Amino acid sequence: MDALRQVGLLNPDNLLWAISIAILLAIYLRSRSRPTLEVSSLLLFDEAPAPAARVRHLRIDPLFWLEAAILGAIALALAGLYLRTAPAAAQGKTRALVFDLAAGMDAREGGGTRLDLAKKNALGIIDAAPERDRFILIGYALEAEMIHSETANHDSLRKAISEMRASAVAHRPAAQSAALMRARAAGEVDLFADRRPSDSILADAGLSARLHFHQAGSPAENLAIVSLDPGIPNISRGHAALKNFGRKPRVCELAIDGAGKTVFDRSLILAPGEQAMVPFGPLTSGGLVHARLVSPDALAADNERYTYAPMDVAANVIVLSPDAVVRDDIARVLLAVNSNFIITAADPAKFTAIDEYSLAVMHDCYIPSVKARAILLVFPPASVSAVADLRITGTIPAAQLTGQGRPNANTTPTFLGPTRRINVPGWMTVKASGAVPGMHEMIPMVAVGSLPSGNLGLLSFDIRDHLLLDPDRLDALVATVELIRELTAPTQLQIVSTGAFLAIPAPRDARIVTPDGSSIPASRDKWGRLRIRPLQAGHYSVESISQKVDIYANYYDAAESDLSGYSVPSATMAAKYTTAVDSISGPKQLRPVSMLLILLALLAMIVESALLLRNARRWGLRHV
Amino acid sequence: MLETRAFEPDFLRRLDRLVLGVRRARSVRTGQRTIGRVQGLGIEPENFKEYAPGDDLRFLDWNAFARLDDLLIRTYRAERQVEITVMLDASASMGLPARDDKFGLARALAATFAYIGMAENDAVRIAAFGSHRDGVKIRSTPFFRRREQYQMFRPFLSELKCFGETRLSAAVGEFLLQRRTAGVLILISDCLVNQTDFEEALEHLIGAHHEVKLIHVMGEMESAGSYPPGLYRVRDAESGAMRDVAFGPQLAETCRGKVAAISERVRDFCISRGTIYSQAFGARHLDAILERELPRLGVIR
Repeated sequence: MDALRQVGLLNPDNLLWAISIAILLAIYLRSRSRPTLEVSSLLLFDEAPAPAARVRHLRIDPLFWLEAAILGAIALALAGLYLRTAPAAAQGKTRALVFDLAAGMDAREGGGTRLDLAKKNALGIIDAAPERDRFILIGYALEAEMIHSETANHDSLRKAISEMRASAVAHRPAAQSAALMRARAAGEVDLFADRRPSDSILADAGLSARLHFHQAGSPAENLAIVSLDPGIPNISRGHAALKNFGRKPRVCELAIDGAGKTVFDRSLILAPGEQAMVPFGPLTSGGLVHARLVSPDALAADNERYTYAPMDVAANVIVLSPDAVVRDDIARVLLAVNSNFIITAADPAKFTAIDEYSLAVMHDCYIPSVKARAILLVFPPASVSAVADLRITGTIPAAQLTGQGRPNANTTPTFLGPTRRINVPGWMTVKASGAVPGMHEMIPMVAVGSLPSGNLGLLSFDIRDHLLLDPDRLDALVATVELIRELTAPTQLQIVSTGAFLAIPAPRDARIVTPDGSSIPASRDKWGRLRIRPLQAGHYSVESISQKVDIYANYYDAAESDLSGYSVPSATMAAKYTTAVDSISGPKQLRPVSMLLILLALLAMIVESALLLRNARRWGLRHV
Repeated sequence: MLETRAFEPDFLRRLDRLVLGVRRARSVRTGQRTIGRVQGLGIEPENFKEYAPGDDLRFLDWNAFARLDDLLIRTYRAERQVEITVMLDASASMGLPARDDKFGLARALAATFAYIGMAENDAVRIAAFGSHRDGVKIRSTPFFRRREQYQMFRPFLSELKCFGETRLSAAVGEFLLQRRTAGVLILISDCLVNQTDFEEALEHLIGAHHEVKLIHVMGEMESAGSYPPGLYRVRDAESGAMRDVAFGPQLAETCRGKVAAISERVRDFCISRGTIYSQAFGARHLDAILERELPRLGVIR
């Protein structure tokens, strides 16, 4: 349908050209018609003789016909005339093999995985295809990716297919749609996925007539660790949330390790579809907490989860703000994040920096002499420009906190008060951005980065008037808590979700060891950071000569981890599949003939010029 | 538009002294028994006549009998109770050709005769007829008697629009259904209707004892056939019928002949029925028309 729209009269541009031709024709016919005159009565013309019928003959003038042919050819070329022809036998068909590479395809199926099953199917198609057939290989998970461009080299294609791996991320519908759109150029599209794409995606891609869906796998039982909360060491218990996606009760063994010791190991029974909160602890000390489902199930990626429990040691924190109420609010939030904080609150006008702090929170002030391993600047003043490349360009009276990386963040913007307009340097990562009401401008609201002296966090909005304690503006509190956690977390240990982008400061180039044990070299960017995007669940290690950073990637997605659904191919889909395998001659192709028409128009113009020259010579004219 | 002229003071001043002559100066009241000549019932003595058996003894002049010993009956001039209706053809044909302003001329004439008719405090109204899909439609003003009320005709005339077919006999039939007292009816039309329909209409009016005066109105271009030369497809404004014609001197001559033939036929019929026929061709010649045609229509000074 889209192909037709592109080259046919359904394309508005082409339709406009066609209408213009119709208008020209109407003008011509109108000029040939007799004018109509309204009279009081035909009684007056009863005896008038009928006008002699005068027949107009078209003059057979070659120049006229040539002009008509030129105009016609150009008009049809502009209108996008096409021919529907059978594909040339010598050329072969073009087929696109589209693979779902999200976590669901890594589920166990028989002796292998769903992806292995899909690969086997695809290789079967390639083996059955004639040598001249061409293939495109496309994969998608978070983004659509052209794995192998169009080729008739089947060996190269087989190799590319065998090297494909599923990622521990959920597939995005936009990526699926983009992959199918990329495949649109092919005559036929084979989609290998564990679940059927929605009708809207198929409609968007415009492939309904040429798509062959190959279901990979069958319904499977799966358990997943949904979340892991370590609690506060020695104070509060932690919780692990487990979910049974199956349709039967499942027995599973959950083991939780903290600081190298097993703190929980128990067998549990989960009802069908149940999500259970399993308490454990409290932990006796902080550090890395690792929960794992020991019982095997269909999908391994969501059976492990890591989190970090704050260390049970006192840390000095200084809170500076000209506003006593704000100092009080920040202290409350800090104690909620970590009750081991020893907080000192002071008015910056009366403060003298002497001690060294784990964290310094400065609201509406900046004192360069404060020594801290991490600094959180809240609503910073213009004097903060002393910090490298951080420049305040102004203050706006209100802003909307929009992009915060959470699914519902964009749908419910949080209205905030006065906000600094800050030029965030490249070495900082913007965690959340905001919109200026009434303007199409996005400004950074939350950012974090690393300096040689320590981490630097930035909140550009003002938190006066108890903003952090306002239940209607919880997003501001969540952003603040997440930022404080990130600033106070050990720099050598990071816990992220799969698919997240990471920027790790590194003194020099490093090697990344992935969860499967392979090692990949990584280069620093101009700000001295290594950029990583973990796509496998588990432990990554970034190793350079002087430092080692451990990254733990967690995977969980409610839709992707649910393997109990199975979209049975409809009768029509099955029929299409059969046709695709058995049929030798493919569907007819649309072949635009615009170039041919333009060539014809040019030829006609040359002939017309020759005729004009001949006439000019005959009439003795020096020019036409 | 020409009809506005009929309301200009200068124009009206020239009509001030004119009176519409009415042949039948007496009205016949419903239920009154009349034998022979209709007796006037006014208060102004007109004449004396010798008594004849059957005369109303109330009108016997006893003084004359005493003096002359003759039985004389006093006769009176009847009170004028004439209703004048100016009936205006407002069919679609009256609006064409637009350049001729035929309908403007017709409306000016209608207003003129209404003004003249009001000179003797007669009841005057203007009625216009056209036809819809549903049938004939007659729109009419109320009767006005005094010249102070003359301006009341102005909005009616200015709002008139030409529409539909002429259907003259149907319009007359509708008009007669109103069962008003017979009076003077001035019919203004282009008479572009088939002869049978026209004759039937006139017969009905005459049969209802109306004193009919017909003013035949036509446009200058229309009557002369002076259309722009060339091949045209002409469409009848009323029936929508079409035919191809070649305008030129030859067709103009044919048109003139046709108009003359129609006029002659209508005039002959009017004369045969004792009806006054008058021509008003060309809106440009309103003054000349009035000067020429008013006496013919029985307007007296």
